[in-house]
Amino acid sequence: MTELPSTEQLRAEVRQWLATHWTGLPKTVDPWVSSPERVAWLEQAVDAGYAAPTYPPQWFGRGYPAELATVIAQEFSAVKAPGARQDKYSIPANTVLKFGSDELKTAVLHDFLTERARACLLYSEPGAGSDLAAVRTTAVRDGSQWVINGQKVWTSGAQTSQYALLIARTDWDVPKHKGLSFFLIPMRQPGIEVRPLVQITGESHFNEVFITDAVVPHANLIGGEGNGWRVLQTALAYERSIMGDSGRSSRNKSKADSLVELAREHGRLDDAAVRQDLAKVLALRELNKLNNARAKADAGQGTSSSIMSLGKLAMSGILHNEARLKTEILGAEALLAGADNPEADDVNFLSLNAFFTSIGGGTDQIQRNIIGERVLGLAKELEVDRDIPFRQARRS
Amino acid sequence: MAISTHERAELRAAVHDLLQDGCTEADVRRVMDSDDGFDRALWHRLADQGVTGTLVDPEYGGVGLSTLDMETIAEEIGAALLPSPFISSAVLTTTLIQTAGTADDQARLLPGLAAGSSIGTVAVTGKRGTWTADGVEVHRNSDGTLTGTVHYVIFGQIADIILVIAHVDDGIGVFEVDPGAAGFTRTAATVFDPTVRLSTFSFQHTPARRLGTAGWPAVQSALDLAVIALAGEQVGGARRIFDITVEYLKTRIQFGRPIGSFQALKHMAADLLLEVESATSAAQHAASVIAESPETADGAIALAGFTCAEAYLSTAMSAVQMHGGIAFTWEHPAHLYLRRARSGLQLFGCPAAYRERYLVSKGA
Repeated sequence: MTELPSTEQLRAEVRQWLATHWTGLPKTVDPWVSSPERVAWLEQAVDAGYAAPTYPPQWFGRGYPAELATVIAQEFSAVKAPGARQDKYSIPANTVLKFGSDELKTAVLHDFLTERARACLLYSEPGAGSDLAAVRTTAVRDGSQWVINGQKVWTSGAQTSQYALLIARTDWDVPKHKGLSFFLIPMRQPGIEVRPLVQITGESHFNEVFITDAVVPHANLIGGEGNGWRVLQTALAYERSIMGDSGRSSRNKSKADSLVELAREHGRLDDAAVRQDLAKVLALRELNKLNNARAKADAGQGTSSSIMSLGKLAMSGILHNEARLKTEILGAEALLAGADNPEADDVNFLSLNAFFTSIGGGTDQIQRNIIGERVLGLAKELEVDRDIPFRQARRS
Repeated sequence: MAISTHERAELRAAVHDLLQDGCTEADVRRVMDSDDGFDRALWHRLADQGVTGTLVDPEYGGVGLSTLDMETIAEEIGAALLPSPFISSAVLTTTLIQTAGTADDQARLLPGLAAGSSIGTVAVTGKRGTWTADGVEVHRNSDGTLTGTVHYVIFGQIADIILVIAHVDDGIGVFEVDPGAAGFTRTAATVFDPTVRLSTFSFQHTPARRLGTAGWPAVQSALDLAVIALAGEQVGGARRIFDITVEYLKTRIQFGRPIGSFQALKHMAADLLLEVESATSAAQHAASVIAESPETADGAIALAGFTCAEAYLSTAMSAVQMHGGIAFTWEHPAHLYLRRARSGLQLFGCPAAYRERYLVSKGA
């Protein structure tokens, strides 16, 4: 193995490389569609070893520890270039790297890192939300392929993705966690029908996916038959770590983005009650940043940290509290909406969209279970369907 | 002197071991029932470990460590509920002598404080307990003596180095009063938290000597360090009582299963973990910022000032609630943590005041 560079050496190298190669990208419209310019840029970053530096060299990485990867990410972010830390943010690439066969890695890993191919997530079902292990979408082996039937929901990017990460039941006669398998399924085939879903904000980022006799090659079974739950847990952990990193801002980019500015503009900065509340809410966001920084420092020291698992729960508290206080500052103006009332529109949007974080990727209540059980080691909640064949489990 | 993260972990372990030996729950209960509320033998052992000289330069017999190390030590002290003048003597008095005193004052006073042979305290605030300049209720008379009353003087009965903050013609001054000075009387207050003793100091034309020419900014700098030390104690105490509670959730069986399996309690525990971790980040961040760039530390100090106090309070209160009946007894330690949390909530200013200071630091 080659010697690792020092932080300073690496920083200089990346800075030099970016100065030569980075020329900017056109604005993206749909985050689920990667423009040809973006793909071309990501290919350069992948080829240079900057996209997934913690991956091993044979899989487009440099075998770096996370702290060196962070250096690369800092330099990319300084010039607003995307593409660093795909080894942290690309759910399909990470899942395939960790659990996929070499054959599968060869087939798709490069495409995922360059976004030549994108993958959506076929996890939740109408009958399996918080209780994700209760999925009823079924995969049946047929020679060298599997035949899939069922219905999935809350899928972003389903209309444009080439692939999906799919959790499906391959055995109904064992307890629910044990009969699941994880697949990388091609989305563009006759058996898959995608219907957009309109959210409470009026936007449409999600879809329902109806699967009727769709097929997936056996080579795309990830982690082995019956091991789907384990693979899914890892894939979900990647997703949660991303959701704890940041929250979405408003859509009109009005003064509602800044609590202090909003309060100042509405003459509420001298209201003692608002001031106390304002300090509490501002502190929540700063504390989350400090927690994340400390978790990174701990990781750099090689000590594990319980903080990472707290980020998503913290973020939903931040978003709901910010939206609550912004609504209070706005007062009756919050009765209004639309482009002619940009502040009210933003605040109302943020108030509803906060549920995206407190429900999506595991509700706050499920997060608290996870923290209680996996971080603090508390006893698990009693699950009456845990040890019976899934076929016999009660359903709504 | 800057020490490495590894060395800081060793320092933490050494203080932890010492307190595990010398400051068990039984020790805390013994000391809190004693007259002084303080274990002088243990104080000397801590001094040998360098705890009392943490912030004192080696030229005055100290160890000369940073605020980060001070915060680390404070976490261990808070976790053990150590009844001691660490904050009032080793942090507040020591720092005030450094910020307000002349070189002579430092050479005269710091070696004793560092060695643990002297115990210092600073008399700052009146009955309202704001720990602000306008809360000072002592003034210098035209003959140079001091008159007025100071409340909530931390470990005031055992102090032999007594600094007093008083109004002077053009602002605030820092004074030194001899423990035997005429017109000076000190009375032990009856305290809610028996691990932090408080006194009321009364001055009637008491002779005093001014330290240098320093005014309120020097006092504020010393108070800022004391707040960070207090935040460290609060983080340590919160984490210890949280750990005790989590352990109880694992071992207490009701309805045929560990009570931690009930979501009502599990979810409280998850929320408390977030509070404890956030408070830890706030305290350590403040200690780090004040060491590196004190002029920009206002927001970080204020954030630690209210976050850590309130996290400790909610953790200790939840600990009592989650334990149920057993923690409603004097015999159970949970109330000792709750008492310490409630005293920390008021010392050096209340959370609302720190929130206001935080907001001002954000340009609001």
